[in-house]
Amino acid sequence: MKSKQSKRPFIITWVVVAVIYLAVFIAEQKLPATSMLFTVLKKGATYALVAVSMNLLNGFTGIFSLGQAGFMLVGAYVYGIFTIPVELRAQVYQYYDGGLVQFTVPVVLAMIMAGLAAAFFAFLIGLPVLRLKSDYLAIATLGFAEIVRAIFQWNNLGPLTNGSNMLRLFPNFNDFNLRDADGNVTVYLSTLIPFIISGVCIFLIVLLIRSNYGRAFKAIRDDEVAAEAMGINLAHHKQLAFCISSFFAGVGGAMLAMYQTTVQAKSFTTAMTYEILLIVVIGGIGSVTGSVISSFLFVACSEWWLRFLDEKQMIGDFEVPFLRNGFRLVVFSVIIMIVVLFFRRGIMGDKELWDLGSGAKKQERRAAK
Amino acid sequence: MSKNVLRLENITMQFGGVVAINDLSMRIDEGEIVALIGPNGAGKTTAFNCITGVYEPTNGAVYFHDKVIAAAHPTGKMKRMYAGNDPEKFKGMHVQMTPDKITHMGIARTFQNIRLFKSQTAFENVLIGTHLRRTSNVFSATFHLNDKEENRNREKAMELLDIVGLADVAEEKATSLPYGKQRRLEIARALATEPTLLLLDEPAAGMNPQETIELGQFIQQIKNDFNLTVFVIEHHMDLVMGISDRIYVIEFGKQIAEGTPEEIQNNQAVIDAYLGGNDE
Ligand SMILES: Nc1ncnc2c1ncn2[C@@H]1O[C@H](COP(=O)(O)OP(=O)(O)OP(=O)(O)O)[C@@H](O)[C@H]1O
Ligand SMILES: [Mg+2]
Repeated sequence: MKSKQSKRPFIITWVVVAVIYLAVFIAEQKLPATSMLFTVLKKGATYALVAVSMNLLNGFTGIFSLGQAGFMLVGAYVYGIFTIPVELRAQVYQYYDGGLVQFTVPVVLAMIMAGLAAAFFAFLIGLPVLRLKSDYLAIATLGFAEIVRAIFQWNNLGPLTNGSNMLRLFPNFNDFNLRDADGNVTVYLSTLIPFIISGVCIFLIVLLIRSNYGRAFKAIRDDEVAAEAMGINLAHHKQLAFCISSFFAGVGGAMLAMYQTTVQAKSFTTAMTYEILLIVVIGGIGSVTGSVISSFLFVACSEWWLRFLDEKQMIGDFEVPFLRNGFRLVVFSVIIMIVVLFFRRGIMGDKELWDLGSGAKKQERRAAK
Repeated sequence: MSKNVLRLENITMQFGGVVAINDLSMRIDEGEIVALIGPNGAGKTTAFNCITGVYEPTNGAVYFHDKVIAAAHPTGKMKRMYAGNDPEKFKGMHVQMTPDKITHMGIARTFQNIRLFKSQTAFENVLIGTHLRRTSNVFSATFHLNDKEENRNREKAMELLDIVGLADVAEEKATSLPYGKQRRLEIARALATEPTLLLLDEPAAGMNPQETIELGQFIQQIKNDFNLTVFVIEHHMDLVMGISDRIYVIEFGKQIAEGTPEEIQNNQAVIDAYLGGNDE
C-alpha cells in the first residue's frame, strides 16, 4: 500500500483559478478602468502575496516576525531605484543631481533584485537572532522595520533613495496595458499582470510548503525539540524560511510600488505590518488559501465596501448617526476583535481549498477497503 | 569483545544546586539491549538528554562509536556550585553537538512524554524522519526535482508504519491515536532516521500487559532487523528482565548496580531501593 493523494481536488483548484483569471481578464476589457473593483483587485493581489509570505513564517514555521513592512520597503525601493528610466532621473532626483544609479534593468529582473535585497537583510538579521531559543525575532524585525524606514529617508543616502522625497515615474501596473500607435489602450492587462506575478509567487510558496522542506518547517512549528531530535537543523531551517518569506515580501513591496506608482519610506509603517498580520489571522494561520481570500476581503472592505461609513449618509431627511470621518476604523476594529475572540481559526483554519472534501474522500477510501 | 557503541564517562548534570546525575559512567556494546532503571526522579531521562545533546552535561564526556559527542567541565558560576567529582579531568575538552547532529550520526530516540507532530498524520510524522538523509536542497525540493528520493522516502515511511502495525491508520492525525499506538509511531519515526543506536524512554508507559509483552518481542525483532543497539528506560520489570542483556540501576543520579537481569534481581542495593516502592 502506498499513500497517494487523489488528484481530483487539485484539478478542481486549477479550474477555479483559471476561471478567476479569465473573469479578471474579461472584466478588465469590459468595465471602465476607473472602477473601484480594479483598485481592490490590484492591491488585493499584492497583499495576498505579502500575507502568504508572512504565513509561511508565522503560520507554517511557527516563528513570529513583524518585519513585513520593512522588507516591503526594501523591495519597493530596490525596484524603484533600478527601473526609473534614465532620462527621467534628473526630474525624480531633482535635489541630488539625477541620483547615483544611471542605468535601468528590466522589470522582472528588478523584482527579483527586490526580493533578493529583502532576503539579504533577513539573512543578516537571522544570523544572530535565529540561533537564540526564545522568540527575539519579533522584536528584532520590528526594530529593523523602524530603522530602515529612518535610514531610507536619510539625506546622505539621497543620491540613492531620494531622501525623504518620493521615487516616481518607474514602470507601474498601467504600463502593462497594450497600446496602439496613438497611445490608446487596445488590451488591458494592468490587473491581470499583478494577478499573474502574485499567482506565480504564491504557487512557488505552495510548492515549497508541500515539499520535504515544508514538512520540516511544520515539524519545527509543532515541536522544536522533537524536530531537532529528528535531525532537523533548527537554525538552518528557520533561516531558510525567514529568507524565503522575506524574499517574497520584497517582491510584494515591488508590486506595492507599482500599484501606488510612487514610493515613500514613511508610508511603510508598522500599521502596515499589523494589517497584514490581521489578514493572516482572519484567513487562518497555516492556510495559504485563507490568506489569499482574506486579503481581497480585507482590501475590499477597507478601500470600498466600508467607505460609506466615513461619509454622512441621509435616508430621506434622517441623518444616520455615527457616520463620519474615522468611523470606518472603529467598525473595522470591532470586526477584528470579534474575529480574534470568536473565530480564532479564521476563515479557513489550517485547511486549503484542495483539502475541502477530503473528509468525503477518506470515507470513500474506507468504503473501498 | 564486541565493539563499543556508547560510552559515558563521569557524567554529572547539575541544574543549579540540584544534582540530577552524579558521576555516571557506563558503556553499551554493539548489538546489546541495555536497560536503565531507577525510581522516579532518579535522573534517567536526564541521562538521555545528555546523550542526545538536549542538555550540555556539567562535567564528563559522552562517546559514540569512540567519537566525542559531548564533553564539558564546570566553568563560570558552576565552578563554585559544582557538587560532583573530578572537576579537572575534562579540562581542555569542550564539545557540544546539537541534537540534530547527533541524530545525524546515528542516535535516535523516543520521548517519555510523547512528542509527535500534532498537526500531521501518522504517515507524515514518519516521513519527517527521512528528511535528515536528504540529498535535495531547497530549490530541487521546491521544484519537485527530487521525486525519486521523495517516492523512496514515502515507500520507506509506509514500510515502517507497516512494521509497527500502523499502516491502517497512516492517514489519521497522529495525536488522535490511542496511547499505545502513539508510542509505536514514535518508534517508527525514530527508525526513519536510520539510527544505529535507539534510545527508548519508557516505551511501555500507558500500555496494558498484553501490549507490553508484544512490545518486548517487537523491540527484539527490530533490534535484529535493523542491526540496532538499544538503550531503554523502563519501569515494567517483566519487560526489562525479559529483553535486557544488561541493566544499569541508578538512584538519585548515582549508579547503584550494574549487571545481567539475574544479578540485578538478587542485588541487595536494588532490592532496598525498590523495597515497598515498586512503581508498578
Ligand atoms: N531542566 C531541568 N531543570 C531543573 N531540574 C531538572 C530538569 N530536568 C530534570 N530535572 C530534575 O532532575 C531530576 C531527574 O529527573 P529525570 O526526569 O531525569 O528523572 P527520571 O529518572 O526520568 O524520572 P521518571 O521515572 O519520573 O521519568 C529530577 O529531580 C528533576 O526535577
Ligand atoms: Mg523520565
